[in-house]
Amino acid sequence: MSGVGKEPTDPTLAIELASGVRWVHECYPEPIGHVHVSVFLVETATGHLLIDSGSFYHRDSLARRVGQLTGGRGIEALILSHSDYPHSGNIPSFRRDWGDFEIVASCADADIQGLPYARRVRIGETAEISGRPFTFLDPPLADRSHTTWVFDEASRVLFVADGFGTIHPPDACASSWGELDPDGRAQGVFEFHEQTLPWLRFADPARVMNALHAIFERHAPAWVAPIHGPPIEANDLDAYLLDLSRAIERIAAR
Amino acid sequence: MRMKSRQRTIAPGIHLIQECGRHRGGIADAVLARGVDWYREGTELHVPQNAYLLAGDQKTLLFDTLSPAASKTVLAGLEDALDGRSLDYLLISHPDVPHAGNTAQILRRYPGCQLLAPRAGETHALYHLGEAERVGPDDELDLGGLRLRFPEATFLDAAVHTWMTEETSRTLFTVDWLGFPHLGDECLKCVDELDVEIGVSRLEEFHSRVMFWFQYVDPQKVQAATDALAVEFEGYGIAPAHGLPIRQDSARYFALMNEVVQRVADAGRGGVL
Ligand SMILES: [Zn+2]
Ligand SMILES: [Zn+2]
Repeated sequence: MSGVGKEPTDPTLAIELASGVRWVHECYPEPIGHVHVSVFLVETATGHLLIDSGSFYHRDSLARRVGQLTGGRGIEALILSHSDYPHSGNIPSFRRDWGDFEIVASCADADIQGLPYARRVRIGETAEISGRPFTFLDPPLADRSHTTWVFDEASRVLFVADGFGTIHPPDACASSWGELDPDGRAQGVFEFHEQTLPWLRFADPARVMNALHAIFERHAPAWVAPIHGPPIEANDLDAYLLDLSRAIERIAAR
Repeated sequence: MRMKSRQRTIAPGIHLIQECGRHRGGIADAVLARGVDWYREGTELHVPQNAYLLAGDQKTLLFDTLSPAASKTVLAGLEDALDGRSLDYLLISHPDVPHAGNTAQILRRYPGCQLLAPRAGETHALYHLGEAERVGPDDELDLGGLRLRFPEATFLDAAVHTWMTEETSRTLFTVDWLGFPHLGDECLKCVDELDVEIGVSRLEEFHSRVMFWFQYVDPQKVQAATDALAVEFEGYGIAPAHGLPIRQDSARYFALMNEVVQRVADAGRGGVL
C-alpha cells in the first residue's frame, strides 16, 4: 500500500473523484475555448495505474504531477483507451521514467498500433489489472475502431475516452461538469462532439442515445470520466445526456 | 542485406508501397464462420496499410507512412521507387498510428522533405503537426505531370484528415474508406489483376470493423453522401489505404458501399481492427 492516496490530494496536482480515482487534468487552448487532454490515476492494492498517457504536449507537467502523486514511484500499469497520439503519446517516455510497466490495450493488432508489448483485452470482458477489476465496453461515441471504454468496478467510474467531452472556458479548467456555468455548457458539448466525432453528421440520434442508455443501465456509473472534458457526476448525467442528444440532433441536421 | 521491395507502379508516376502485416487469424475465423465465398481456409488473410509515392517530373510526394511495424518496408520501398531521386513532400492523410507511424524516420532519411498536414481539424499541435504546412480543398500541388488536389474527407475517423486526388490519372485516394482484406497470393495486386471480383462481403468485413459507427447512422444519409461522391469522382480510380487499388469501374464500388452501410446498420459492428 503506497499510503499516498490516504492524504488529501493537492488540488493543483489532481482532483479526487471517487475513492482511489483522481483526475489529472491538462488543457489545450483552442480559439473557441479549452479542451482537456487528461489522464486518470487509479490506486491499486500495490501501487497506481493510469488510464491513458496524455499528449506529449503535456509531457513534462504530467510526468511531474503523476510522479508527485505516486511518491516518486510512478505507475505499474497503464490502460490505453486507444492508440490516438493524445492518449498514447507519453507511453515511451513514461516507460523510460518508471520502467516497463504493463500496457493494457484493446486493439486487434498491437504491432501496427506501435504497441508490440501490450497485453490485449477484449471488449466485453472483465479483467484484473494490478488486482483491480475493470470491464471493457464497446463505445458508441468513439473515433477509432479499437477504442474501448473502461468501467472500474470498484469505484464505478466509467472512463469514456473521446466521448462526453465539453469545451470549457479558460477559467474553468478544474471544474467538474456540474460546476460549469450552465450558460454555454450545452454549446461546449455541441462544439466538442462536432469537432471530434465527424461521423455524427451521419448519425441517427436515437440509435446513438439508445446505445448509451443501454450501457448506463448495465453499468450505472458514479462518474463518467472523459479524457477531453470535465468529469460528470451521476447526479448531473441526465442533464449532460439531454445536452448531448440535442448536440447530436444539431450535428446530424447539418 | 536488402529486404525484398514491397512496391510497384499502379499508374504512370504513382507507386504503391504495401505493408501486409501478419495473418489476421481473428478475421479469418469470423469469415469462415460466415461461410463467405472469397476466403479459403489455411490461406493468409491480410488487411494492408498502403503508402503511395507520387513521382512527378519535378517533385515527389509520399502520401502516408505505413505503421511503426513497417519502418523498413516503407524506407526500402521508398528508396526503390524514388530510384535515386529525393523526397520533396510527405503528406499525412491523418495522424493515426498506422498511417503516420514512420513520419520521424522518413524525415530523418530525407532531411530536405517538407511535411504537409491536412488543414481540417483544430488540434494539429497535439500530433506534432503544428509546424507542418497545411493543405485543403482550395489547394493544388503540381509535381510536374501529376497534379494533386485535397478534397475534404467524407468518411473519416479523426478530424485532422484529408483525402487526395491526382488529376492527370484521375485517381482518388480514399484513406480509410473502401478498404478490404486480401489473400496471401493477392498482395500488391490491383483489383483488375485478380481472378475474382471484390464483392459486398469483403467490403463489409472491413467497414463493419473500421467504420463501426455505420451501426449508429441513418443509412440514407451515408448513401446520399456516397452517391454525391460517385457523381463528383465519376471515372476516377480509387487508391485506398487498406485495400487494393481499384483502377476500373469504380462506380460499381460506390454502389456496393451503399449496400455495406445498410448491412452494418442492420447487423451491427463486426469486431475491432
Ligand atoms: Zn482549461
Ligand atoms: Zn498481403
